[in-house]
Amino acid sequence: MTGVLTSVVAAFLMYTIFSRISIYFIYLLNVFSLVVIHYAIKKGESQGAIIGALCGLIQDSFSLGIFGVAGISKTIMGFAAGYISRRIDIIEVKKNFIFIFLLMCTELIIWSSLYLFLLSERVNTAGGILLFQPFITALVGSLFFSLLPKLKKRFVHHENA
Amino acid sequence: MPFSLKKNKSLIILICLILAQLILISAQVPLGGKENYLEKAIFSLFSPIQHGALAFIQKIGDLWRDYFYLRDVRGINERLSKEIFALQQQNILLQHSLKKYKNEEEIQEILEEIFGGVLPARVIGLDTGSVYRSVVINKGSKNGLQEDMVVVDRKGHLVGRVIPPVSFMEAKVHLITDSDSGVSVFTEKLKVPGILNGDGKGQCILKYIIATDDRVEVGENLITSGFDGIIPPGISAGVITSITTDKSLFKKISVSPYFTINHLDQIAVIALEPKEFF
Repeated sequence: MTGVLTSVVAAFLMYTIFSRISIYFIYLLNVFSLVVIHYAIKKGESQGAIIGALCGLIQDSFSLGIFGVAGISKTIMGFAAGYISRRIDIIEVKKNFIFIFLLMCTELIIWSSLYLFLLSERVNTAGGILLFQPFITALVGSLFFSLLPKLKKRFVHHENA
Repeated sequence: MPFSLKKNKSLIILICLILAQLILISAQVPLGGKENYLEKAIFSLFSPIQHGALAFIQKIGDLWRDYFYLRDVRGINERLSKEIFALQQQNILLQHSLKKYKNEEEIQEILEEIFGGVLPARVIGLDTGSVYRSVVINKGSKNGLQEDMVVVDRKGHLVGRVIPPVSFMEAKVHLITDSDSGVSVFTEKLKVPGILNGDGKGQCILKYIIATDDRVEVGENLITSGFDGIIPPGISAGVITSITTDKSLFKKISVSPYFTINHLDQIAVIALEPKEFF
């Protein structure tokens, strides 16, 4: 639980810092989704859905849109991430990239559909930049997830020494 | 095969979570624009993190500027001295012009009210859905912020208004670039009235100007009229960038606000209740 909360806070901090560097970072990289995917793979579909709901609602509370839209899309995405990762092998970087890319596309489709249905307006894609979000998030996510075990090992080794 | 609760535990959790959020969405309909308690709780819990992170980054930046990056200080100092001198002269001239209409005591009262009513603030966060909708600022109810207080940029141009949730030390500001915002304005020269809406992409649209009305020109400044009862009159809101007409009854007028979200950092909240203006 502490790990999840730390990751969520870390994602929120990264989001804050990125948004102050350039607004385009917000459109290109969804750090909250990466936290959801990471824990969904690690802990399964139930935890994935719960963490998805939590991250989505945090995202919603800092947006003027309807509270719950990002929550629903991230809940479904978290569930799907946990469910699929238990059935197929996604350890290899390439497979992991495709896996995250497809999940991000799904989340974006659900989010924009809910937006269109509930607010009767299209999502602002910032001149099409938002459409690159699945690709960039998948790229960053797959590289980070492949480096994470090595970083953890190094950290443990360093602590033991 | 009978439905097993144990086997389908994760599916039940998913359905419950989605249902709970659907109920949350439905509950917002009777609330209108008001925030719900859960939203306010999450906002109040996480906005201090944003506040702290930005304060930390700002401290590092200040440290760099104060101790290491002093190359341009002399130049900036000279420029600011000139600006202060010009502003002082302007202030004296304005006070002299005010004297024509009001007595000394009334002027002093007005000036004190204006001075005490302006609260400098900083943007600490952008909207997670669309950056042109809202921003989070580092002032909250502790500083006397309330719903509908007007927010201007460092040059006094309209940025938006304070909306709920207003937490203890942070608040949300609805930007004029959001498509759901509406400000009553008129053109500076011929006082043609209209409604300024955001286009959701960082620009604005001036609505309800009849296609046959030729009094509106490109490059003209838009000033708030105060007719909406929220934004006080006399604040610059934007400049007309293009006017087109088609078969519709109204002109299509694009307006560029004076601020860009990329450079929106220091702002000022006019910390007076809307009713105090009118």
